[in-house]
Amino acid sequence: MTNLTSRILEFDDASQVIEDYFGRGWTDGLPIVPPTQDLVREFLDAAHRSPSDVIGAEPTKGRVITAEKVAVNAVMAGCRPEYFPVVATAVEAMCEPEFNLHAITASTMGAAVLMVVGGPVVSEIGINSGVSVFGPGHRANATIGRAIRLVIINATGSSSGEIDKATLGHPGKYTWCMAEDTNVSPWEPLHVERGLSENESAVTIFAALSGIQVANHESESPRDILNSFRDGMFAIGARHGELNIVLCPEHIGHFRAAGWTKNQVKQTLFELAQRTEAEWRAEGQVLPESDDSSQMISTASKPENINVLVAGGAAGAFSSIIPLWTAGNGTRSVTKRIQF
Amino acid sequence: MTTATRLAVLDPTVEPIPAHAVVAQRPDTLDGKVIGLLANGKRNSVELLEAISDVLADRYEFKAIMARNKGNASRPCPPPLAEEMAAECDVIITSSGD
Repeated sequence: MTNLTSRILEFDDASQVIEDYFGRGWTDGLPIVPPTQDLVREFLDAAHRSPSDVIGAEPTKGRVITAEKVAVNAVMAGCRPEYFPVVATAVEAMCEPEFNLHAITASTMGAAVLMVVGGPVVSEIGINSGVSVFGPGHRANATIGRAIRLVIINATGSSSGEIDKATLGHPGKYTWCMAEDTNVSPWEPLHVERGLSENESAVTIFAALSGIQVANHESESPRDILNSFRDGMFAIGARHGELNIVLCPEHIGHFRAAGWTKNQVKQTLFELAQRTEAEWRAEGQVLPESDDSSQMISTASKPENINVLVAGGAAGAFSSIIPLWTAGNGTRSVTKRIQF
Repeated sequence: MTTATRLAVLDPTVEPIPAHAVVAQRPDTLDGKVIGLLANGKRNSVELLEAISDVLADRYEFKAIMARNKGNASRPCPPPLAEEMAAECDVIITSSGD
């Protein structure tokens, strides 16, 4: 019998558990699934993890996060056991130093952890990449993202109003898990772009701010479509170290028809989202002093800093710009292959 | 009599590992001491430290002030800066100014 070491609490029934866990601040404000020992063991078995395996550490607040604790929170989130490998890998990724986990979960800027899952696991466990990809209704999307937030609250100690001082935050902090639509996309998915094979499953995490929806139902040329991103790009500021755009199927159809590559998208958007240093300053952007206020500065520091994702429903020409915490300069996204 | 079965569930929280930090010894006075002022990178942090320094300077005669700025509020103090200040200063005052 797998030996679990978490403190055991006893209640008369599930509703007592739900109320008690609310009261202790162990939830995201929504009811949780009571984390019984049997369920936790089932999750650990599904990922071939021992309870004491160290998934990661959050050194600023001195937390060592074991597989057992991640499993307890994944059960609470409403995950199925077969989702647990994705959750565990995402927590490993979150604990990588370049992600800067403590800062992004304490900061007034209020980032969520956006998870982009790729590879065979997407269809195996039913992660939505289509209609209402950022919205409710799909258990895998809803609960995998939620598990990450519960781990952040309970295992790293960043709870709302205490360590987590987000001024506004945004709803992605409840859950934000998606997949790319590889059937619609003419390009390799993100994890393949980052060196993994299509046959490998992976999760990429971002410290993401709320997205800006970009609507364009008129243009058919890729350049004109990207031009409609311009105002949104200016709104998020200059010299981003990393940012995401999500292109919907209707827009992708035009890029596919024109034979555009992903790199063309990045380069063109980089060029379109440029204006002079003087224009940036006039709109309130804080920039280091320079001798040349006519120099052109883009929203992205480099074209390759723009990640291009493909997802969304088949109808509706609505794409999105998703900026990252501190303009992607204080955090880096992390991609990890999922261990099964 | 029937004994009701209780529902046993697990605690999801992780306790911090015991801190190894020891509270620094306080000097009896700041007269003749080198005072370090370490701003956290946010703009009001510098102003706050300057105000604190002015108040203390009214009461004590420092040997010197070493003012530094760790530059990035979202990252720990870079070790070289921490080591430099630890080597030179008798006390260090930090601030978080948003």
